[in-house]
Amino acid sequence: MPQLDATFSALADPTRRAILARLAQGEATVLELAAPFAMSLPAVSKHLKALERAGLIIKGRDAQRRPCRLNAEPLRKVADFAEQYRRHWEESFDRLDDYLKVMPTGKSTARKRSRK
Amino acid sequence: MTNSSTKDREIVLERTFDAPRDVVFDAFTNPKHVDHWWGPNGYSTTTSKMDVRDGGEWIYLMKHAQFGEFKNRIRYHRVTRPARLQYLHDSGVDNDPAAFEVEITFEEERGKTKVTMRSLFPSVAEVERVKGFGAVRGGEQTLARLSEYLKK
Repeated sequence: MPQLDATFSALADPTRRAILARLAQGEATVLELAAPFAMSLPAVSKHLKALERAGLIIKGRDAQRRPCRLNAEPLRKVADFAEQYRRHWEESFDRLDDYLKVMPTGKSTARKRSRK
Repeated sequence: MTNSSTKDREIVLERTFDAPRDVVFDAFTNPKHVDHWWGPNGYSTTTSKMDVRDGGEWIYLMKHAQFGEFKNRIRYHRVTRPARLQYLHDSGVDNDPAAFEVEITFEEERGKTKVTMRSLFPSVAEVERVKGFGAVRGGEQTLARLSEYLKK
């Protein structure tokens, strides 16, 4: 899951998460995005490049402004992954629940249980 | 392995089983039993090697009629019978970027066993945090809008 991994590492940085949170409210230019941060424009651009590589943002075509826009697709993949992982284990545990009812427990445990 | 810096990278699952702890622990660690239940619906698990001790390995294949075969390897860091398992789960290749750490604890309470499974994702799972990152900046609406995006 290399795509997922790229998403995860892009999200690991608090500045990048803040940029995404801002973009969730609507598109913005690099200048607008940089305004709340105490960092240079090149530093902000670097974060934007990392987000762009991970497919989390898309730069607009308008040559003058080049506004950035959030692309939620990779985020949904991350959320789906967590959901899927949970479901996977819920199902496994359901199966274990059933299996424990018929599981041959061998010598000591079987006797211990029937004595209770 | 849980502390404040790892909490946001964890997925935690809990389940209480109606069986004594040594039996449940056996179901997780005995090759005779584990293939009968391990894996989600639609998957079969076939163990080729299982050596549950510190530094030991469990190698198994998961098969699904539609999605195909998946090689799995679990390397046990620490086995505390019958209370705890700590291991690294990967796809059988070294330095697998998708590898993740797991800790499973088994606690007995009046003949039942509570199993807690914590999976810690590496570079990475910021998983749960994604749902909450709107709180970082930009206010309350962000999260609502983001979850709308996520549902689309």
